Amino acid sequence: MNEARFIELLGVYGAEFSRWPDDDRGDAEAFLEVAPHRIKDIWESERAFDHLLALEKDMPASISLETRVLSASMEKRTKRRPISAFGKWRVPQWMTGGAIAASLALGFAVGYAGESPQPSDGEYAKMLTVSGGGAGSMFISAMNDAER
Amino acid sequence: MASRSALNILSGRTAQQPLGVGLSAMRDPDEELVRRVGDGDKRAAVELVRRHLPRMVGLARRMLGDRAEAEDVAQEVFLRVWKHAGSWQPGQAKFETWMHRVAMNLCLDRLRRSGRQGGEVSPETPDARASATRALDDRQRRERVRDALQSLPERQRAALVLCYYQDRSNIEAAEILGISVDALESLLSRARRTLKSALSAERADLLSGLETG
Repeated sequence: MNEARFIELLGVYGAEFSRWPDDDRGDAEAFLEVAPHRIKDIWESERAFDHLLALEKDMPASISLETRVLSASMEKRTKRRPISAFGKWRVPQWMTGGAIAASLALGFAVGYAGESPQPSDGEYAKMLTVSGGGAGSMFISAMNDAER
Repeated sequence: MASRSALNILSGRTAQQPLGVGLSAMRDPDEELVRRVGDGDKRAAVELVRRHLPRMVGLARRMLGDRAEAEDVAQEVFLRVWKHAGSWQPGQAKFETWMHRVAMNLCLDRLRRSGRQGGEVSPETPDARASATRALDDRQRRERVRDALQSLPERQRAALVLCYYQDRSNIEAAEILGISVDALESLLSRARRTLKSALSAERADLLSGLETG
């Protein structure tokens, strides 16, 4: 590593040595240790510029985006699930229709009989913000519900 | 520099190409997680999203300059992940590198379709020079950095975003962009020079702050 090479790489990768090519990193750090003040000043100035660029930070992804992305994964899996619960067996259409109608009627009856109180808006907000919960846990429960 | 000559053969691939083919084989921290996602493990899907979604949004936001559009891109990246996780071939590529390439290609496609090319770096105005004497807060500085990034030509911006903000190595960034490391370094060098010029007022302000602090 010489001065010209050090300055060249400094202008490409900045002062943060972790960004420098593997082959040059060690040599560059050793060079800076014993470099004249003029070179150290240049490196400090580049480091200050890196700090400025680093102000543009990542922001956390919104919960609504997490939910959308995870829902898409659920849709993907739902589409791959076999349509017929009877596998290769051929079932007459009227029988399938009858089974659907019967299960709907049963669902209504059970729903009326055992209606549970609905969560308020505040409770939903708590589910989204509580530590360890968020979109991930909502997604898992939604998927478990869908598969039941 | 070593191992650069082989990189040019990687150019010209698109996001539609098979997952993992051709990219550098390194120890992949996502390998197990992706396999579980491919097997339908819900918790693995959540973990993968938590691990990578913010970075995908960050990349797209810096490339496109628009949060909503960046979220659309990130969502599109994950649609491809869900689609291809089952066919992931371990040992051929780092999964995160593949995700970065998909995201970057989606961003570049959008920029080209919309005709936004960047490249119009606003010259330093007398007002900007005068502002060097007043203390800027971090929020103002951040906004100026964001504006300056958006004004870079798209290839320079892409190189800088990958190496400086997404923490990709020079070899990985070159692979993602389909260029040689030499070409990447040229883009980085020009991007850094352009940004220094565009942010000279903020830079002077920051340096004077360091000196007096």
